[in-house]
Amino acid sequence: MNLLPDVAKIMAEMQERFGDRLDAVRAERPNEVYFDAKMDLVAGFCADLYKNWDARLAGVFADDVCESEKVFHLYYLFALDAVHAFFILRVPVPAEKPEFTSLANAVPAVSWQEREIQDLFGVKLIGHPNPRRCALHDDWPDVHPLRKDFDLRTELPPFTGERHKLREVEGEGVFQVPVGPVHAGIIEPGHFRFSVAGEPVLYLQIRLFYTHKGTEKLFENLPVTHGVRLAESISGDSSFAHATAFCHALERVAGIEVPVRARVLRSVCLELERLYNHIGDIGAIATDVAFAVANMHAMRLKESVLRVNEQLTGNRLLRGMACPGGVRFDWDGAQIKALENLVAGLGPEFDSLIGLIEASSSTRDRLEGTGILTPEIARDLGVVGIAGRASGFNHDLRRDFPHAAYDRVNVQVPVYQAGDVEHRMQVRVDEVRESLALIRRFVADLPAGPLRVDLGELPAGRTALGYVEGWRGEIFHWIRTAPGNRLARCKVKDPSLQNWPALSHAILGNIIPDFPVVNKSFNLSYSGTDR
Amino acid sequence: MNLDPISILSQTALLLALAPLITGCIRNWKARLQNRRGPRVWQPYFDLLKFLRKDMVISEHASWVFSAAPYVVFITALLVGLMVPMVTTQAPLSLFGGVLAVVGLLALGRFFLALGGLDPGSAFGGMGSSREMTIAAIAEPALMLALFTVAITVGSTDFSYIVTAAQQPGWNLFNPTHLMAFAALFVVLLAETGRVPIDNPATHLELTMIHEAMLLEYSGRYLALMEWGASIKQLVLMAILVNIFLPVGLATDGSAAMLGLGLLIFLGKILLLSAAVVLVETVNAKLRLFRVPDLLSAAFVLAAMALLSTFLFK
Repeated sequence: MNLLPDVAKIMAEMQERFGDRLDAVRAERPNEVYFDAKMDLVAGFCADLYKNWDARLAGVFADDVCESEKVFHLYYLFALDAVHAFFILRVPVPAEKPEFTSLANAVPAVSWQEREIQDLFGVKLIGHPNPRRCALHDDWPDVHPLRKDFDLRTELPPFTGERHKLREVEGEGVFQVPVGPVHAGIIEPGHFRFSVAGEPVLYLQIRLFYTHKGTEKLFENLPVTHGVRLAESISGDSSFAHATAFCHALERVAGIEVPVRARVLRSVCLELERLYNHIGDIGAIATDVAFAVANMHAMRLKESVLRVNEQLTGNRLLRGMACPGGVRFDWDGAQIKALENLVAGLGPEFDSLIGLIEASSSTRDRLEGTGILTPEIARDLGVVGIAGRASGFNHDLRRDFPHAAYDRVNVQVPVYQAGDVEHRMQVRVDEVRESLALIRRFVADLPAGPLRVDLGELPAGRTALGYVEGWRGEIFHWIRTAPGNRLARCKVKDPSLQNWPALSHAILGNIIPDFPVVNKSFNLSYSGTDR
Repeated sequence: MNLDPISILSQTALLLALAPLITGCIRNWKARLQNRRGPRVWQPYFDLLKFLRKDMVISEHASWVFSAAPYVVFITALLVGLMVPMVTTQAPLSLFGGVLAVVGLLALGRFFLALGGLDPGSAFGGMGSSREMTIAAIAEPALMLALFTVAITVGSTDFSYIVTAAQQPGWNLFNPTHLMAFAALFVVLLAETGRVPIDNPATHLELTMIHEAMLLEYSGRYLALMEWGASIKQLVLMAILVNIFLPVGLATDGSAAMLGLGLLIFLGKILLLSAAVVLVETVNAKLRLFRVPDLLSAAFVLAAMALLSTFLFK
């Protein structure tokens, strides 16, 4: 295996440092290394990677292999951005005593993910600061849907259980403002409980997972090719990114290389998805401070992108384009021309939209210094993507782990330290301009060649990590294959799950009427979180 | 005090009929400035008709206050409307010292509006009411001072008298006193009618609402009364602004020609002022809630300076 040079060095050092406490080390792919160890090594392993290699814990997930090995496997996914590698630590948890030690005290970023494992796998959390129900709400009976002995078609009898006790700030003049789970406007459900003293917010508890759809369980019951369509529906605004991350995982299991033309088309589609979402968000931020003119211009620009999306892929949200081993549709000269025209026209139009917003002092007054997420808190909570980059998170999978065709270009990543609404918008503005430049470069040098390769029969019992930098942040799909071109497990990690808790911190000390614009500047997906 | 049933009836009819049109015009023009086609200018009439036909859903926690508020809001707005000269120089009603009664009745309407928001005990209604009262605490004195400024220059608090006096030669809008009072009243108009940059009448975000938050629990007939009342109040405040400071073209007698001309000129002035409101709403974002008192304080200071200058420039 052609390991990246730095990776081999770090692997060797880890082996030397932990010696025989590491049960096994295997590099499945040049940038994906698996370590096997016992539970008691996790904290030390994590600390070592954080301290010495500037790694970050990008995800924690579980897998049920009780049938064959009488254990659950816990996976700790570390991203070593500087050396462009993922280290994955696998830890067995005995089925007869399903318990695992929480890392949330040291790495608050994994708090929700650990609780999710506890709910969905019934593996008890030890030492978690807040081990309450999360993914399954409090009234759920004691069932653990992601265990293999839980049948997909199980129908639970009607149940009533305890209602969630929300944490509230008490004191004279402190009021509770409940918002949701049903909201005005067409958005998904989530409950926000503000404790306020007058207008300033003292505390915000966010309660999600009202739309848990069992997506990960569904993946286990579908042929992989149908999985692509399911991946598209994980979060509607990231359809293509999720589908591509899923395909990426399949391709890595199969060990095939996607043809270069398909990789370029994928990158262009990812950038188109970024474009329409970023432009829409910029408009939505303007609406939330009642600067409707800017929003209407943004909507017009977004519409022009969506129409080109439809021209290119037959779908405004780029659905149906992704497929394992490449992409489904090629573009002819007229379609390329439409794309070029879009990019050429959008640049100046977008500049004039931003000019309009920047010239509006009343708008900027609302955005500057609102909803500050400090780099320290952002780092602790592992905030990723646009929200992270506005708060000093200098990572982007497009640059650090080049996928699709990003190895052909040099991606500029905007990073700011201020962490307020204005800078979350500024990151979007910079990224829109970068996306336009990237599309221009991709289209100018569009390689010819086949559109996809056949994956063939997937080898069973293999694992692989697929990753894509979606418009909102990094998306991971980790899969373990089963015989017959099926999956035994598909872990989906959307950046929203990582970023939601940060909203509670960003709003502190702000006033309630500023919450909508702070929320919009994060623009997190409910569906991607709940799955 | 003379009560002329014909003038009362006709001005009531004018208020009821014209108020939704002004709201419709503002919405439509705002949409045009945003590159949208926008709803027809008649849309508010259809909305009112729809609300009046619909059943009401009333929270089981609501008391009689909730049901009384829409009537109080609606009737106070109408009463105030009858005390302001619109097409003719003579207002149909003149009660308890004109300006004072107008400010008092507006305050009564607002008081019940806020109570109506609080009564069902929903979080949003309470927030709206508390914000409304915060803003009113500054907007109301500014309104009073600005009106008193004019009252002092003509020597009466009776609107009809003010308007008649303003028709005499020697009245000058561009006199600094009047300009400052006009500016103060214009800001008050924006605040009282829930417009950007103080409130956003077009938002769906409950957390940011002021006026709309108090109406969230209302439906059907009550909502129609609330919306209609708000439109009438807007028309009345605009009428005060245009007729006091730009008192041209008001009918001085009851002849049909005079009345027709007066109505046309009145409409023209109101639409002009609406256009100004639309412009302000379009080019501004909403102020941060805690900045709103700054703007209203500026209006208050302007009004106070206007009042002082009446003595200085005497």
